[in-house]
Amino acid sequence: MLTFLRRRVVSSAIPLVFVVLGVFCLARLTGNPVNLYLPLSATPEQRAEFAAAHGFDQPIVTQLADYLTSLLVLDFGESLRTGQPAAEMVLAAFPATLQLAGVTMLIAIAGAVLLGCAAAYRPNSLADRVASILSMTAASIPDFWFAIMGVLVFGVTLEWLPTSGVSGGPEVWILPIATLLIRPFGVLVQVVRGAMVTALAAPYTKVARSKGASEKRVVFGHALRNAAMPALTVAGDLTIGLVNGAVVVETIFGWPGIGKLMIDSILQRDFAVLQAAVLITALTIFALNILIDVCYALLDSRVRQTVPA
Amino acid sequence: MPSSVPLPRGTRSPAPVVVPLAVAILAATSCAVANSGGGGDTGDAGDTLRIVLAQEPPTLEPCEASLTDTGVVVRSNISEPLIERDPTTGELEPLLATTWRQRTPTTWELDLRPDVTFHDGTTMTSEDAAFSIDRAVNSDLACNVDGYVFGDERLELEVVDEHRLAVTTTDPDPILPLRLSFIEVVPRTTSTEAKVREPVGTGPYLIERWETGVSISLRRNDDYWGEPPAYPRARYVWRSEPSVRAAMINNGEADLSTALNPEDATEDNSVAYPNNETTALRLDGREAPLDDIRVRRAIGLAIDRRAIVDTLFDGLADPAAQLVPDGVVGHNPDLPIDPPDPDRARALIAEAAADGVPVDRRITLIARNAQFPRVAETAEAIQYQLASVGLDVRIQMADTAAHLEYQLRPFPEDVGPVALLVMHGNQAGDAAFTTSQYLLSDGPQSTFGSPELDQLISEAGELSDDARQEAFAAIFAHQNDTLVQYTHLAHMRGLLGRSPSIHYEPNAATGDELRLAEVRPAREEAR
Repeated sequence: MLTFLRRRVVSSAIPLVFVVLGVFCLARLTGNPVNLYLPLSATPEQRAEFAAAHGFDQPIVTQLADYLTSLLVLDFGESLRTGQPAAEMVLAAFPATLQLAGVTMLIAIAGAVLLGCAAAYRPNSLADRVASILSMTAASIPDFWFAIMGVLVFGVTLEWLPTSGVSGGPEVWILPIATLLIRPFGVLVQVVRGAMVTALAAPYTKVARSKGASEKRVVFGHALRNAAMPALTVAGDLTIGLVNGAVVVETIFGWPGIGKLMIDSILQRDFAVLQAAVLITALTIFALNILIDVCYALLDSRVRQTVPA
Repeated sequence: MPSSVPLPRGTRSPAPVVVPLAVAILAATSCAVANSGGGGDTGDAGDTLRIVLAQEPPTLEPCEASLTDTGVVVRSNISEPLIERDPTTGELEPLLATTWRQRTPTTWELDLRPDVTFHDGTTMTSEDAAFSIDRAVNSDLACNVDGYVFGDERLELEVVDEHRLAVTTTDPDPILPLRLSFIEVVPRTTSTEAKVREPVGTGPYLIERWETGVSISLRRNDDYWGEPPAYPRARYVWRSEPSVRAAMINNGEADLSTALNPEDATEDNSVAYPNNETTALRLDGREAPLDDIRVRRAIGLAIDRRAIVDTLFDGLADPAAQLVPDGVVGHNPDLPIDPPDPDRARALIAEAAADGVPVDRRITLIARNAQFPRVAETAEAIQYQLASVGLDVRIQMADTAAHLEYQLRPFPEDVGPVALLVMHGNQAGDAAFTTSQYLLSDGPQSTFGSPELDQLISEAGELSDDARQEAFAAIFAHQNDTLVQYTHLAHMRGLLGRSPSIHYEPNAATGDELRLAEVRPAREEAR
């Protein structure tokens, strides 16, 4: 297992390096931030002074070298926009996104497993059709539309929920989670259903039944365990998508997470915050990928064996 | 083959899995959202005035108060200037200074209020005022107000006595008091090495708490020298989606909201106000075919301003013939607004083509995303109207940073003829701030000009009173007659979200300076 982990860490670290370099270079291709931060009437001298103070007058290779050197001592730089340390801003915003993504995926996986299993257990039944329609509809609805309609219906018309914000109790979570949930839930139900249909028809399921195993054990112990691999793959991708920033939800509901922070950093050419946000997100995704791989290995010993020593 | 084995009786439900999951989800959602500080983000109705902004202020540094996102919170709420300009009449009014006078052509003297204290309890003196001006204008902090209001100018400051201050300029400056109205006064203990994020001021409110990303809470300054504001507390939150801001007003989560969209506005949740912003097309006169004045005139004649105002702006604007609206010194009320005349426009283009002007060269119309409601549709309407008179126009939508690349010198090279959709706000109330930027030959936002116009602008800047008004009015007429760098579209109006539970009348400065002390509960007003 340790060899497996070591290999996975090494192979995942290489893309991480490319992400860091790519974001650094691509951000600088979007233009000079000086105009955004100085008054429109600033003189060329003031602009040059600002650029020099922040190192934007240096060749990009020099800027990159400075950035990497600072990274070695965990110095991510300061936000051009707020003057705060970039790492501090990112680390403050990231947990809010992780909370939202975590709860959403927990509900999505639990709901998808239950509904997907029920639909697969009786294909073409009413439950299966309802599950298919529900999941296809959920996967097709644009999240921004769903969010705004949720605000108008449940926030303004019915006044059951707050329109946005993070104050109060569990009610503040409902609209953001519902919005974020629709796509992962719709996709996962279909994946679980498809995998379970195949698993329930597989010879080992018949063997299990012939040995007198209970239906609960057949479904959840034999079929679901084997159907879990594709569901795990898709759930992993969807989780990464959410961790990467639930931009629409955070923007509409005023959720103080990393998605909104990243978008603002891009629009404001706040390079230090953008780089810190991408690096920390990439590290999290890197860790998530390792976790998913470990789950694979735990679920299926063949995965462990395919990794060359 | 799919299984269709019926679920046998006695099969247990998956409750052992579901129950712990439900517990985990409930536990998670009953926790406060991370990065929210655990507190409420809209405050309690009643004693808290709740304002929803479009963006979180990047800083509350007073010397950045000319930035809209910062100024709307800071100005006249947390910190105050020596002099304030009445946004309706344009007159300068006393604030922290009671009187001012021109002692010599280059020196102004101001008398300060003796009874003003800062939020930290120290008394405001002329040393603080001198420090504040020096910090904002003469320091290396690169304050926005320095570039916006004072340019390269350096000021000499003399503390005459505890409550009297003298300010000296290099050249005579008849509008120095107006310029000083942009400088917020801070105590002399404020850092000169770096900008401060949460300042100390003299205003009716002081900062209680800033939860980054969530809200800013203000508390009433009980030692305020003026009339105390009606609300003991104020709380700002921000939502970038206009529909959500409107929804917050509609269901009572907020009392005031900046910048609503017309489609979300109703009589009950909003009020329109002139916001001093003017939209126009800036035509790059250095590139053919826009280097020909006939083509530039044809563009002005092709555009149906009234149709754009009535349909796309929902009537929340007035067709414009110049870059500044009524109420700004230098506005020329006699300038005619071109009615659409496509036939005349086609004739001018044909005339230019006959003289060898490449009128079929593609013009790039650049507009900024979300600069004002329905900006993309406005660009499309202009594209259609220009195409109907024979011009080839393509639209390029840009974000703020990319748009600024085209808006400010040095302009991008080899991009062909550009018509830039700009929106200019003159919050200072004097045309000098517009002409120096948009009309001078080497103005930071001007693509071309003429020595004659430069001379007129220079001369107008030294005048005062009626002579100043007439000189700048003549400059705008000169632009339209001899240069036509701008095809003006409309003087805009903003929409302020306003709850029926409060009383507040917006003015031309509201978008940049929302004075909370002017807000009263509606029930109190009704008495």
